[in-house]
Amino acid sequence: MARMKFLCDAERCIECNGCVTACKNENEVPWGVNRRRVVTINDGVVGAEKSISVACMHCSDAPCMAVCPVDCFYKTEDGVVLHDKDLCIGCGYCFYACPFGAPQFPSAGAFGLRGKMDKCTFCAGGPEPDRSEAEFRKYGRNRLAEGKLPACAEMCATKALLGGDGDVIADIYRERVTRRGRGPEAWGWGTAYGLPGRGGASPAQPAGGRS
Amino acid sequence: MLLTRKANGSVAREGRLARALSGVLAKTMDRRAFLRRSGVALGASAVASQLPFRIIGEAEAQEKKVAAKVEVKRTVCTYCSVGCAIDAHVQNGVWIRQEPVFDSPINLGAHCAKGAATRDQGITHDSRRLKYPMKLEGGKWKRISWDQALDEVSKRLLKIREESGPDALMVVGSSKYSNEQAFLLRKWVSLWGTNNTDHQARICHSSTVAGVAQTWGYGAMTNSYNDELNSKSLFFLGSNAAEAHPVSMLHTLHARENGCKVIVADPRYTRTAAKADIYVRHRSGSDVALLMGILHHIFKNGWEDKEYIRTRVYGMEQVKEEVLKKWTPDKVTEVTGVSEAEVFQVAKTLAENRPGMIVWAMGQTQHNNATTGVIRASCLLELALGNVGRRGGGANIYRGHDNVQGATDVGPNPDNLPGYYPVAVPGSWAHWARVWNVDLEWLKKRFASEAMMTKPGITVSRWIDAVLEKNENIDQDPNLRAMIYWGHSPNSQTRGSDMLEAMKKLDLMVVVNPYPSATAAMCAMVRKDGVYLLPSTTQYESSGSCTASNRSVQWREKVMEPLFESRTDHMIMYQLAQKLGFADQLLGKKDGKQNIRLVKGKGGMDEPDVEDILREINRGVWTIGYSGISPERIQAHMRNMHLFDARTLRCKGGKDAKTGYDLTGDYFGLPWPCWGKPEMKHPGTPNLYDTSLPVMEGGGNFRALFGVERDGVSLLAEDGSHPKGADITTGHPPFDHVLLKKLGWWDELTEEEKKEAEGKNWANDLSGGIIRVATKVHGCMPFGNAKARAVVWNFPDPIPQHREPLYSPRPDLVEKYPTYDDVKTLWRLPVRFKSEQQKAVKEEMHKKFPLILTSGRLVELQGGGEEQRSNRWLAELQQENFVEINPKTAAARGVRNGEYVWVSTPQRNPDGSFVRIKVRARVTEGVGPDTVFIPFHFSGWWQGRDMLAFYPEGTEPRVRGDAVNTAIPYGYDRITVIQESKTTLCQVERA
Amino acid sequence: MRALAASAAFVAAAFGLAACMEVEQTVGPPKAGKYQGKPDTPAWANEPLAHETARWTKGDRASWEAQIKARQLAQHEDRRIYQ
Repeated sequence: MARMKFLCDAERCIECNGCVTACKNENEVPWGVNRRRVVTINDGVVGAEKSISVACMHCSDAPCMAVCPVDCFYKTEDGVVLHDKDLCIGCGYCFYACPFGAPQFPSAGAFGLRGKMDKCTFCAGGPEPDRSEAEFRKYGRNRLAEGKLPACAEMCATKALLGGDGDVIADIYRERVTRRGRGPEAWGWGTAYGLPGRGGASPAQPAGGRS
Repeated sequence: MLLTRKANGSVAREGRLARALSGVLAKTMDRRAFLRRSGVALGASAVASQLPFRIIGEAEAQEKKVAAKVEVKRTVCTYCSVGCAIDAHVQNGVWIRQEPVFDSPINLGAHCAKGAATRDQGITHDSRRLKYPMKLEGGKWKRISWDQALDEVSKRLLKIREESGPDALMVVGSSKYSNEQAFLLRKWVSLWGTNNTDHQARICHSSTVAGVAQTWGYGAMTNSYNDELNSKSLFFLGSNAAEAHPVSMLHTLHARENGCKVIVADPRYTRTAAKADIYVRHRSGSDVALLMGILHHIFKNGWEDKEYIRTRVYGMEQVKEEVLKKWTPDKVTEVTGVSEAEVFQVAKTLAENRPGMIVWAMGQTQHNNATTGVIRASCLLELALGNVGRRGGGANIYRGHDNVQGATDVGPNPDNLPGYYPVAVPGSWAHWARVWNVDLEWLKKRFASEAMMTKPGITVSRWIDAVLEKNENIDQDPNLRAMIYWGHSPNSQTRGSDMLEAMKKLDLMVVVNPYPSATAAMCAMVRKDGVYLLPSTTQYESSGSCTASNRSVQWREKVMEPLFESRTDHMIMYQLAQKLGFADQLLGKKDGKQNIRLVKGKGGMDEPDVEDILREINRGVWTIGYSGISPERIQAHMRNMHLFDARTLRCKGGKDAKTGYDLTGDYFGLPWPCWGKPEMKHPGTPNLYDTSLPVMEGGGNFRALFGVERDGVSLLAEDGSHPKGADITTGHPPFDHVLLKKLGWWDELTEEEKKEAEGKNWANDLSGGIIRVATKVHGCMPFGNAKARAVVWNFPDPIPQHREPLYSPRPDLVEKYPTYDDVKTLWRLPVRFKSEQQKAVKEEMHKKFPLILTSGRLVELQGGGEEQRSNRWLAELQQENFVEINPKTAAARGVRNGEYVWVSTPQRNPDGSFVRIKVRARVTEGVGPDTVFIPFHFSGWWQGRDMLAFYPEGTEPRVRGDAVNTAIPYGYDRITVIQESKTTLCQVERA
Repeated sequence: MRALAASAAFVAAAFGLAACMEVEQTVGPPKAGKYQGKPDTPAWANEPLAHETARWTKGDRASWEAQIKARQLAQHEDRRIYQ
């Protein structure tokens, strides 16, 4: 059963912003709203610079869904997290809850007036009839309903951003890791897998006691 | 990145409000819907009679499906030279969507920010396109009709011609033309009667083409982006591929994951360097020393490929002697700042990982010693390692614009006719007069004199001096009085403050462009009249071919009709030719024959047929093998991209369903040279000079371009060095009728071929018979089989020398490694080298301006940048020009991240003050404490002042900034006068 | 004590009074945590588009998934390079 996911391979991401403009183009997202952004950490630091493309991760247990006061979020059978803009009250709780900053609110004025929340839809549209004008106007393109995958992942310059069925992504990524002979050397790798010296701090081992 | 900053505040508010309402009312048209329908509402000639959805009430009609059919047109991105294919979805003549082409063997569906955003070119709502012809009158832009524009421009041109001769005009053409448009412009300029024409290659890779061609025969990328998959090492010296050629990194990174070693040498730690296995930071402008330092270790340890050098290279012993003596590690470190250990590590890695490639772009080409020094040293490195002419090895030269390769091959060059036939050789003119079906004597009379006809013209990097310089110093009768900027930006050339003066002095400036470009704004800032803007189309509004950097030719289908009142470049060329009196010659209409038919273009007006133009190119360009690249063949390639292997670019088998053309064995895009006539079915040459393959399977050898012998040593290849299966197993000169007869091969020509080939050589035999016999019958290269030259005796520096930049931070090194002597005449103008450098030392410029200023690219923008900064999705990503400055350097000046700073340089304004530009400070460790970096894509500000008022209304780019080239001072390459914009001096201070 | 009881009663009365004057805020019993919006149809419930290459049987989830996975794998550059 397909479960839709994104994975950005930080070993390949060159911050070309192809994913960013692909999304803007395909969904005609207006100025000021950025469903997908590329973040570069340690810019200019030799050996440590890494780029990664971030948008909604379509979490299995989505915090945005959990905190929404009007319950405008739902998850499709493929695991895509979508929401109903007609219900959205623009409170911004989902923005607080999301670890990735996926919810977008076009800001205007000095005090950040918010409108309806907009976010990456995995190019799966929203609760309007598939491929209709209304769906396009509110949520952007529904590529899944056309048998395609998100525009950002399909257009990634170096195929760093993989989008689609999680199993297939895992297969592709596993092949890459095997070929490289090592993991992503990204931050936190050491923390997650307890390998000291492999990028990122490893957790301090307590002397004796519980591990 | 300042993502939420709005360029136009009202826009976002409108969007927010409309979106807030849309859920409730579902009747307001918010920006998305407006954008989607905008093409239909405003598109000039392609307006559909019905809107797909009505605004009021239709929003509730949930089940209504799209009525009109969607057509898919296959085109190629118009930005860089990788050549990513795009499927454009068109409905009712409006470009509504774009889809990636996974079938393309070149980009496999990948795009960068620009390619993924290119559909903005087709959106007519709030478009910043130049929509109709305009004229500067009383300092204001006035809309005029096409008829008036063509009439006035041609009248003024004819008047200037009458008063001052044809050389008073310069036409700066474009690397964004299709091959057909580029070819037609070279013809156009020749029919006008001048060689004063140029294009972006001058400021980009002109030094490459000259330096590389003088080494081994052709000045193009030897392999392809795809071929990097077969490399064991990749040395990026002077290339920021991650930002300039992002999709090429797909192949690079895949290769890296398969064990290929990626080495990046760059004064900046770029996005490309972040993916390197080895990063070397060397001083900007010290590239020759670095390369010679690497060669030193290679020779010292005996790592050079001795057999390869013996059979295929001339003069390497002289180079070895000089390198070992002169470029000892201490000298290398003194000049480059790189330690011996680092240089050794690079040398060892390259030696142990072959085949390997060296990759370069502007980092190597834009220096005063680029052609004779940096480029040549790169060639020497690859020759020493035995990498050139192998799968996975060579000089992978990353060209810039989408068709700079094609425009260089067949387009507007001041020293060459299409196909690199030199203007200096009368035979070239005879050849092309025949192919063009133009009377040679008539053509000769069009020029001021026969001397002027054979003299290379003025370059785009120096045109301002042709206007401003004293007449007695110019090597032509008149100063330049009229300029046509046809598809070129002004802010990619240096000395902007001088350019402004030149613009003031011109009699006539014509800009032919889809966007007004900074030329319009600069002229309006200093002039009251004499400027015309003619709207031309982008490459999506016409069909045509383009040549990617790897020499593959792709065909673009027309996506949409020309928008607004724009016309295709070839229609404008024809219409101007009609007014100027050489329309018939442009079409090759003579003696009952007409080479190029007229077809109906926009609005039913006549325009030259592009396929006919490509066939004319096939008939005339034998030198680099464009002869086999027919429209039918490459169109079949575009329809069957999935049949081509992405590692070898070869088609293993298959037939085109539409025409039945058998694609088996073809290389994708028939990378030139594609020898002989199309019927001969040469498959193209994916990797140049590869002796491991037969000629008819894409093999080759080095070109015999420099004579047969020198100082008693043979310049031809040694015995045993030849393409696989060649009938001549040793070196030989180029083929002509004499050689064929000597070899006894003359009778293998058909009777018809013999008639034509008698008295001719491989390059001007229009029957193609000499080439056919040489390649197909006997497996030999038509241009001979020779050694590459390690020593180029006709250059001022036969062996590459390090020469300090004209504006150098190190006067002590200027003493040891000074630049060239001044040249009295080069490309019709005097060029200063030593005098400029000495003056800088005397005036202690290195003290006033202690930082090295280097310029370069950003991934979101390209070239002059007006086009991308008019793109709503790209403009948002780079909203302001900035300077990258090291934390130490910033702290010393009290500069904080994000603040405005003034960057001043030795370049002066007319009043004597130093030019200074205002940019944001971006504090990063990516640049060293002695260097700052500014991207060159910005324009629209003049030394801190927004030039918004000087753009025609509604055409200003969404974001504007100061152009770094306004500030970059004098400095040119010794051979090709490409500007030295990679390394100069500046000072930064808080604004 | 009496004052306290009185004030407590007063408070209770106030609440009771307030409840009587309050307008019902929700429609029906609140369904906290459950999606309240419009229904949405799954991707495979659509007909493939004529001008596109993607093909599946309308309504058949498995065929849609199969073609999505095939499309995803086809984009993986290894397939093209090692073919």
